[in-house]
Amino acid sequence: MIEELPPLSPQARALLDRERPIPSLPASIRSRALARAHAAAATGSAAIPVPPSRPVAASWIPWAAAAALVIAMGTAAAGIYHHRGSAARDTAPSLPPRPEVAPVAALAPALPGDDLVPPFESIAGEGPKRSRIAVPREELRLLKQARAAVARDDFGGALGPIAEHTRRFRDGRLVEEREALRVKALAGLGRGSEASRAATSFEARFPKSVLLPTVRRISSTAP
Amino acid sequence: MAEFRLLRSPAPAPSRDDECLDAFQRELDYIYRSLRRLGTPASEVDDLAQEVFLALRHSWDQYDGSRPIRPYLFGIAFRISAANQRKRRREVAFAVIETDDRGPNPDEALQTKQARAHVLEALEHIPLKRRAVLVMHDLDDVPVREVAAALSIPVFTVYSRLRKARGELESALRRTRKDGGNA
Repeated sequence: MIEELPPLSPQARALLDRERPIPSLPASIRSRALARAHAAAATGSAAIPVPPSRPVAASWIPWAAAAALVIAMGTAAAGIYHHRGSAARDTAPSLPPRPEVAPVAALAPALPGDDLVPPFESIAGEGPKRSRIAVPREELRLLKQARAAVARDDFGGALGPIAEHTRRFRDGRLVEEREALRVKALAGLGRGSEASRAATSFEARFPKSVLLPTVRRISSTAP
Repeated sequence: MAEFRLLRSPAPAPSRDDECLDAFQRELDYIYRSLRRLGTPASEVDDLAQEVFLALRHSWDQYDGSRPIRPYLFGIAFRISAANQRKRRREVAFAVIETDDRGPNPDEALQTKQARAHVLEALEHIPLKRRAVLVMHDLDDVPVREVAAALSIPVFTVYSRLRKARGELESALRRTRKDGGNA
């Protein structure tokens, strides 16, 4: 049986009647949105699935359980390692050299002809806060694609991976590099005003970035 | 020779991408407004509209062209807004500057614009799931069954959410009217 709906008050109905007609977008917003959609369609790889409408709690539980498990395993492993290490120090003059972790550079070698973005090994080793192995492979892969496209002057092709990176790693490890690539790609496509906006946003977000002079130069020379 | 000139090759059928872009272009105003009604900050509407396009492109084959496209688009916009809202809860907002019509502007003489701002403000007080049902049914005039289909929820759930959302809308409008009167 369908329950009876309470009618809206005349005041509420009058307000909704005012809101009902869809206002037209300003031409600048419309043309920008359509240009972005065309660029995304042209790259051919940027389609994303519709996110599921699941409850928030359900998405937290498995992650929390996994994190707790990883922390517990890590603590146990560290305890074992520490115990073995102190036992070894009692019998041996020095510990054997620890194996080096694979550098990020091995995953993402610098591309020739790209003067904008420093190679990933320098990014990864830039500051104390950045771990050398903490950049997810997928994040690197997307940025590599974008860098490769920019390096071969396929600026439209760079926007697809940049958009996907924005969607999946909005505040990822390489967001600074991504935003710099965005400025270069937009400038390369001749979308000067968008490049300038992206450069302004970059400057506000990363005022001390080593990429800032290059970003400013690109933005100032964009058509 | 002359008869050959009369023969024309048939116009190429529009590709899947062309159809999708065409639909996106036609409904762009609706997509933007729906995202705003669903509580997307003005500074993020551009990006989310692009996500709607990418999702539409991904699921274009599932869309039944004989049915109206707006409820389908609204379903996508709702899911993307919900995902974005979840993400925003985990992130610190970065330099969000609202430039849109939140709250009546004293310099704005147009009554309609004030009414629109009033409605958006009141909608902010309704949780997203109920707000989506209210917007679809009471603003977009989508029948209950289609609301249920677009949001993948049972018809009874649509009714119960709508009943609750209407109550919340009334109290939010009363509250904002009262605040406006006191100011």
